[in-house]
Amino acid sequence: MDDSSLLSEFTLFLKEKKQEGIKVIAYLAHDNIPEELIDAAGFFPLRLIFGGNDELMDASHDFLPPSTCAFAQSCIGLFSVKPNDYKFLEMVDYIIVSNHCVSDICVSEIISKYFNIPRLNFYVSYTINENSLKYFKLELQDFRNQLEVIIDRKISDDDIHNSILKFNNFKKKLLEINELEMLGSEKLKLIHKSMLFGPDFLHDLENLIQKFKHTPQSVSNTSKDVFLTGCSIFINDNFIDLIEEGGGNIVFFDTWIGNHYYSQIIESNLIDIETDPLDVLVLKFKNNIYGDHSVPNFLEQKVSFIQKYSENYTKNKGRKLGVINHIIKFCDHISLMSSFLKDTLQEKGIQVLNLERDYSRANRGQLSTRIEAYLEMMK
Amino acid sequence: MSLIADEIISFSSVLRIAYNLLTGRNYLKRKKFREKEKLVAVTLPFSDLAFAAGTVPVFPIRMHKFEISQYLTYLGSASSIFGWNAVSNFLSFVKNLGIEEVSKIVDDIIENVIDTINEKYNEMYDLGIENGISSDFCYGLKSLVGSHVSKGRNVDACLNVTIRCSAYNKYLESLKSINEGPRQIWIDIPPRNLGNSLELLTDNISNALNEFEKLTGNNVKDNDLRDHFKIGNQVKRSYKNIIYDISASDFYPCNPATFSEIMALLSITFQDYNSNAVRYRDNIVSLEKEMRERIRNGIGMDVSKMPRIFVTPMFGGWEPKSHEIIYELGGRALYADWELLKLLEEIPNGPHTDPSEEYARFLMRATETGIGCDNDKLTDSYLRMASDLNADGIVFFQLFGCHSISNCYAMLREKVRRELEIPITAITFNRIGENVEQVKTRLGAFMEMFK
Repeated sequence: MDDSSLLSEFTLFLKEKKQEGIKVIAYLAHDNIPEELIDAAGFFPLRLIFGGNDELMDASHDFLPPSTCAFAQSCIGLFSVKPNDYKFLEMVDYIIVSNHCVSDICVSEIISKYFNIPRLNFYVSYTINENSLKYFKLELQDFRNQLEVIIDRKISDDDIHNSILKFNNFKKKLLEINELEMLGSEKLKLIHKSMLFGPDFLHDLENLIQKFKHTPQSVSNTSKDVFLTGCSIFINDNFIDLIEEGGGNIVFFDTWIGNHYYSQIIESNLIDIETDPLDVLVLKFKNNIYGDHSVPNFLEQKVSFIQKYSENYTKNKGRKLGVINHIIKFCDHISLMSSFLKDTLQEKGIQVLNLERDYSRANRGQLSTRIEAYLEMMK
Repeated sequence: MSLIADEIISFSSVLRIAYNLLTGRNYLKRKKFREKEKLVAVTLPFSDLAFAAGTVPVFPIRMHKFEISQYLTYLGSASSIFGWNAVSNFLSFVKNLGIEEVSKIVDDIIENVIDTINEKYNEMYDLGIENGISSDFCYGLKSLVGSHVSKGRNVDACLNVTIRCSAYNKYLESLKSINEGPRQIWIDIPPRNLGNSLELLTDNISNALNEFEKLTGNNVKDNDLRDHFKIGNQVKRSYKNIIYDISASDFYPCNPATFSEIMALLSITFQDYNSNAVRYRDNIVSLEKEMRERIRNGIGMDVSKMPRIFVTPMFGGWEPKSHEIIYELGGRALYADWELLKLLEEIPNGPHTDPSEEYARFLMRATETGIGCDNDKLTDSYLRMASDLNADGIVFFQLFGCHSISNCYAMLREKVRRELEIPITAITFNRIGENVEQVKTRLGAFMEMFK
């Protein structure tokens, strides 16, 4: 299924949701948004996980300077241009203004203000410690209140518990994708579809995973295994094609569209009906130590995770693993730490390619050359 | 530059502030090695806790050796014998005699101060890029990284206060990778004032103070905080008086370009009070007095016919020639970034106050109503400030690579046109001196609107 078919299918899916009276809350790709609360309140959480192109980026320049994160630019472009594949964005009822990064704030705010979509607020501290956990709970309570005002009823703890369980089970299943032997682009399609449709896709996901387990796809013996970190590869972005055409195969997606999302699983014994469900969500935030939003230990955690994964991979598979750090141009979090990440990992003997790009067609050739050169070096 | 130099010598306090800024390195070396005090890197005006804890806050660029003109060095030496007022009076006297050579010397002194700071900023900018920060980030961050790469190992700690700018927060995280030695002391400001978040921030401040205690081995008492807040409040009071009573008035104690130059100097030095709060307080209080004295005596310039151009933001990097250009085009540039961001608010310091809580309230207010948690709030701050200054126009510096403040321009332009009905223009900025001709052209077109 190509991305156009996926979006077309999703449009129908969302229409059905709307016909059932379900409202849609959109938000920029963000690892701390409590989608469980959105679900418990009877809304559909729509992650804006769509890549861009020149036209979309250009369309944002009425609102933002071009030196803004290319993903952020494209999100505005989507609401401004509303390409055919994205007509479902007209079904968005609310948008969450959050501070994953400052571009997240600016873009969500612009979408709300200039495209007349009411906003909801959800902000997150930059540190993870005792006080920021308490603050996170305050934000959760406030968010719950905002939702309750819209639906004009209380969201019961039971409903939140059920949603937590639902997303938890969904993520547990998604986690199995990491172990599938298949081409990275196919794996990514599965992840994209799962994250777009959410737990409604669980049944299909189970079947697909079962199918891939029984009939593993062949991956070229000559392709180089790649660990992808940094910025996510969004829907309708051909970046993964460039890697595969260059002779690489992404075996692990260490990005929010990937492991970072579905590894946020709460131990089942901690989802106790007696526990305040918001505390369970606080725990999820506490465990989110690899999130690029957090300071001051993001770099250490990330290095340690990649090093461990890389060592285990080589040990178990007997193959070398390359690391591509995908940097969407003007991304504050990933870009600023990129040279430190690369230096630290290379000191540990792990070769890293810092690959910075935006969504313009013009840089495709240059990117291919860099990817090929890097993969060549891995021989 | 002579128009600036001709005026500035009348303010001995300005000479002192400039001298203390440029000679920071020697002062800091003395503090660190002879007096065994701890140096703490600070950026943005968040030096209060460092002062209260008995450490020496330093805006990192000040650890550098600046090329100071021999004359300023001489003035510095002379001042330590005769006092600054005597030196300043002497210079005024000599200049009034019309001795051309001496006037040139005076020009050189001032030109040196301004150019030296800017050259150093640019040098740090280049160094930052050489050492790994992407050229896509803003001027301020690149310069800060350069400053830490070159001199960061000299500090004992970095005081890291999170703000809404994600690049800035990540830069703070990167400091321990740039230099492993310094202790990293964090204060995380909750993004919004919800529930008991003030209490949480107060606790974060207490934790930071504990870190300071570990650094110095001394207890930080409530009275230490109150005593420093008292000094800080005096600084802020004078700073605000200069902004509101003088910069917004119709008679300036000097020509407007000089005035802007002084305001720019205050903006830079306010971040760490030149590492000595009492000395800085004395200087800024006397600066206000000197200004008022001149106005009272009718010395200065009637600026009532010159449009007030609010130039902002400038704290993260701006083209310093802009105020001179605006002056040449018949206007006056007003700078008031720290007031706009609510960082000139006084902190209650009465005997029954909880100083940590008061400081938390101060930070929270700045976050909520100054810089704001979103652009709607931030743009309101610009509107408020422009309105309070009775500005006739706004020049908005759009920093290349700034994703926090520069991104609000479209919203700001719309609000300004709708609510204030004054002209506004944006000037893109990347590096000091890089685009002066373009700045001139843009400002030329903009200032035409006031003719």
